[in-house]
Amino acid sequence: MRARTAWTVVAFALVTAACQAPDEDVAPAPTATVTETETEAARGGTLVVAITADPGHLNPAITTSGGTHTASELLYNGLLAVEEEGGEPVGDLAEDWEVEEDGAVYRFTLRDGVTWHDGEPFTSADVKFSFEQVLLQYHARTKASLASVLEGIDTPDERTVVFRFNQPYAPFLLQLDVTEAPIVAEHVYAGSDPNENPANTDPVGTGPFEFVSYQEGAEIRLARNDDYFKEDLPYLDEVVMRVVPDDASALLALEDGEVDFLWGVPGPDLERIRTADEIVTGETASNPGGSNCIMTISFNLDRPVLADQRVRQAIAHALDRQRFLDQILFGQGEVAEAPISSGIAWAHADQVDLPEHDVAEAERLLDEAGWKDEGGATRVARGVEGVEDGTPLRIDFLHFPTFSKYGELVREQLGAVSIEVALRPLEPPVFAPTVFAQDDFDSNVISYCNGPDPEIGVRRMYDSAQIGDVPFTNAAHYRNPEVDALFQQAVTTIDRDERADAYRQIQEQVARDLPYVWLVETESTRAWQDRCTGFKIWTGLFAETASCRS
Amino acid sequence: MSARYLLRRLAQVPVTVVAIVGLTFLLVHLAPGDPILALAGEYGDAEYYAAMRARFGLDRPLAAQLVTYATNLLQGDFGISFRLGRPALAVALERLPATLLLATAGLAVSSAVGVALGTAAGRRAGRPLDVGLRVGAVCGHATPSFWLAQLAVLTLAFGAGLFPVQGMTDARLPASSLGRMADLLHHLALPALVLAASEVALTTRLVRAGLVEAWRADYLRTARAKGLPDRRVTYHALRNVLLPVATVVGGRVGTFFTGAVLVEIVFAWPGVGRLLLTSAQTRDYPVLLAIFGIVSLGVVLANLVTDLLYGWLDPRIRYD
Amino acid sequence: MTELLLRRPTPPARHRLVARPLRRLVTSPGGMVAVSLTATAALVALLAGRIAPGDPFAAVAAPLQSPSVTHPMGTDDLGRDLLTAVVHGVRTSLVVAAGVAGIAAVVGVVVGTVAGFRGGLVDDLLMRATELVQVVPRFFLAVIVIALWEPGLDRLVVVLGLTSWTWTARVVRAETFTLRERPFVEAARSLGAGTWRVVAHHLLPNALPATVVMVSTVASGAILLEAGLGFIGLGDPDVVSLGYLANNAQRFLRTAWWMTLFPGLALVVTVVGINLLGDELDELLTGRGTGAAELSSRRRPAAVRGRGIETEIDGKLLPPDA
Repeated sequence: MRARTAWTVVAFALVTAACQAPDEDVAPAPTATVTETETEAARGGTLVVAITADPGHLNPAITTSGGTHTASELLYNGLLAVEEEGGEPVGDLAEDWEVEEDGAVYRFTLRDGVTWHDGEPFTSADVKFSFEQVLLQYHARTKASLASVLEGIDTPDERTVVFRFNQPYAPFLLQLDVTEAPIVAEHVYAGSDPNENPANTDPVGTGPFEFVSYQEGAEIRLARNDDYFKEDLPYLDEVVMRVVPDDASALLALEDGEVDFLWGVPGPDLERIRTADEIVTGETASNPGGSNCIMTISFNLDRPVLADQRVRQAIAHALDRQRFLDQILFGQGEVAEAPISSGIAWAHADQVDLPEHDVAEAERLLDEAGWKDEGGATRVARGVEGVEDGTPLRIDFLHFPTFSKYGELVREQLGAVSIEVALRPLEPPVFAPTVFAQDDFDSNVISYCNGPDPEIGVRRMYDSAQIGDVPFTNAAHYRNPEVDALFQQAVTTIDRDERADAYRQIQEQVARDLPYVWLVETESTRAWQDRCTGFKIWTGLFAETASCRS
Repeated sequence: MSARYLLRRLAQVPVTVVAIVGLTFLLVHLAPGDPILALAGEYGDAEYYAAMRARFGLDRPLAAQLVTYATNLLQGDFGISFRLGRPALAVALERLPATLLLATAGLAVSSAVGVALGTAAGRRAGRPLDVGLRVGAVCGHATPSFWLAQLAVLTLAFGAGLFPVQGMTDARLPASSLGRMADLLHHLALPALVLAASEVALTTRLVRAGLVEAWRADYLRTARAKGLPDRRVTYHALRNVLLPVATVVGGRVGTFFTGAVLVEIVFAWPGVGRLLLTSAQTRDYPVLLAIFGIVSLGVVLANLVTDLLYGWLDPRIRYD
Repeated sequence: MTELLLRRPTPPARHRLVARPLRRLVTSPGGMVAVSLTATAALVALLAGRIAPGDPFAAVAAPLQSPSVTHPMGTDDLGRDLLTAVVHGVRTSLVVAAGVAGIAAVVGVVVGTVAGFRGGLVDDLLMRATELVQVVPRFFLAVIVIALWEPGLDRLVVVLGLTSWTWTARVVRAETFTLRERPFVEAARSLGAGTWRVVAHHLLPNALPATVVMVSTVASGAILLEAGLGFIGLGDPDVVSLGYLANNAQRFLRTAWWMTLFPGLALVVTVVGINLLGDELDELLTGRGTGAAELSSRRRPAAVRGRGIETEIDGKLLPPDA
């Protein structure tokens, strides 16, 4: 958080300055220092962005897929926006809002004079339509959190939208940015199946850039929206998103000048890129696919081997989490200090007791639990409940192929306390049903993104109602009625101190039960040419205020 | 070659392709994995996933799915891509030109270089040049294409700045059509060279072997005895060697598709190879099968043409 | 009596077809290079546990150290000794190669023999199947199988093995056709020698040159393929192979050159050795350049008389795609 804050301040200053005095066509200062805030943004030019995955389509309202969101958010807006990482929301399509009835009613006043890229006016009907017909049907995160609590949406006039909930609902304002709730046009999507509407690959939005072309697997071209509702924005004439699947090639392209902006720098090259001339870097914990992510090991609590808390605690002690940070992430992030990410500062509990790296303690706990080291490579069961005597202590470990290094470190470190680990790399479409529908795993690693509020991304991991075949919910099959009740208590009050208290109790409880091991909070390092400036790297509207000298 | 033979071979083409695609259909659908995730993102609820599954017919028994699929396939319908929501065949065909361009360029380069090297080696069989070229060819053939691609990007493209690092075109497109053509060729050069590298070895070997053999043939011995200059003799010999070499190279279309996958990934070349990998990772079955259909058809046709051409050129071979 | 009769008319079999070329192999310069490279790789594989004792996955030193006396090939990103990894990687790759070539050879010989001896409908069906398998894009199939089922060397070996036999089958079948009509085989069969006896004594020695080339092509192809799959992240995570090392090195191309160089060199050396060996054996066994031209002239019509797809260049059948 510390390193991040410093950057955020600079970026925020940049953005503010850029918004205030962008009238004249003057080149900004060459380096990203605070002095730059004094100068004005350059106009025109093309920004070339490397993306790693082909998005498939460009409708961020029907999916939470990071690929689609990365490539399409510049075309759209939310009701609100995030102008600072982890910060309070500010107006985007809405210019003003009120929270009524202790958080059970939210009333928004929309900006005047906003038009869609095809010239049609934007109204409150578009907002109602987007939520009711698209987001609550197809945007998995918004649907999962809002569908059961949102009672209705009223549009008293063209510029007013009212959301009514069946209980006070605290995190709503954090769920309205372009990532969580992009607003799409009713006149484009009405009467059609949003999944099959041709506009998904020929999109019409309100965002700073308009769609020009999409060549599947190759590139997406966007052009400046001349009628953008934010005065003078954007500065760039054109944004080209180039699909470059190989990280090393993407990095070379940046260093070579073929590409101007990179969403992530591979760890091994970080040192060089940070100190490179002409390249600027910035860290963020927010990605269009999700924010405040913690690499988390889940234990299958339904398996006799892992049902014993002492075994889970032993595994936690056996893991040296600093090595995950140093050797896999090359320092991009931090060792997790609590079950909730430090990115949600108010809910993150400091001083939670998480097991530290302690091999002797791990061995003691395993012995105590009945797993004896009898000189062989693997411990064997001697009087473990539900396990036949002599069974070797062998567990499998499921992971996405991209997370194979986590598996290798776990295998090595558990091997040191004579636990045998078999790795099973599975692509996401196989991983999800194997873990969540079939419950066929001993342990796994998942990047659980906590999102902007614990209700959005944390509750799903612990709530016993979230055990089932929905991907990336309660993988551990953790059941604790107290924890369930605390989550319910935390969402129905909008008093932040009360909520923080509930979340603290939850974190202390799960840190004792250890259904998971929270390894490391991850960050991404964005990198861009220093002739470009003004990026909001924590949001999908990252290039709204960007400019490049030619 | 009789007309009956030709007809029979032609009739086999669709049967072969449908058989391969059908077998692959079973293979793909028996595999574990849920394509729904690629469609819906990760946070959906059960009802939503069930609805999506029903929409794409994934909730029906495998046998029923196969029957439907086969019926549609016979009408040239490969289904709708799970990931892109468009006809799978169209998705695959869109990527084909990029791969064909790369493979054709690779083929052209490897043939030209291979013939040149093979001729040089064949004329001096056993001499240092021959041995050197042979060593080079063997090493070239043994170097993995991805490794060669990475080294080429690092040295020739990035280090020396001779070529672009990625893509098929420059993101900042030149205005004139001539400029665009030059830009495309500039982007094509390095991946084509890398793709050609391992095939050069084979072509070199074939040409060399053919030349050595031809050199011993009676008519060339006679020609040399009569004082025809070596250059002319080589020309005659080469003419007899090249046609069979061409047919062999034509029969290796599959290899070029294979090499293209890895080369496409390193160079961010938007071709079929990368589509295959993406589709496999996201379980986009219809696209996977469409790619299989297209590639199999390509290989079958290439083999057919090669055989016919060879039979036509070499009267020693009779097809019955 | 049958034994005698059977043996006497045997064509110049093993001793001439195998022993003499083998002697030539170790005396020709190319052959010596081929044999020494392959032998080195094979020795490394056999003695992997001796040369580099210890778990190749164990962290033994600080990560990303350049080559030194204690770690001649340096260490990787998790602090593992690269020499140990390369030694075990070569072993894995050779095992994969041997497995693939073994399956391919067995299936090829069986299919070719059955098709050749039985003829008729069986032959027709088997040849149709062969043509089908021949056009399956092998790498594409491997990508699909590995990506859809979990990564594992076992399934890689099976997929590659089951798609690499077609060429052997064709050659064996063609040999069978020739042999079937030869007087000594007819004599043997009329005396009640079983089919497989005829196969073992007469057919296999004749099909050997082609099978040897096939084995080397398929084996080196399998090694390269395993590396390629590793590169795109579809390698087996539980075994150190050259593909695994290629994948691991990918991110460190510019920061730890040793991680790319040494496994890469090991791979190139192994593949070159196998390829050269195949080439040399082929030349010696088919008599190319050694004056034994009658062999290739005898084989020509047999191969050509097959189903028509065979592409033959001057007596030399070409292996299919690697």
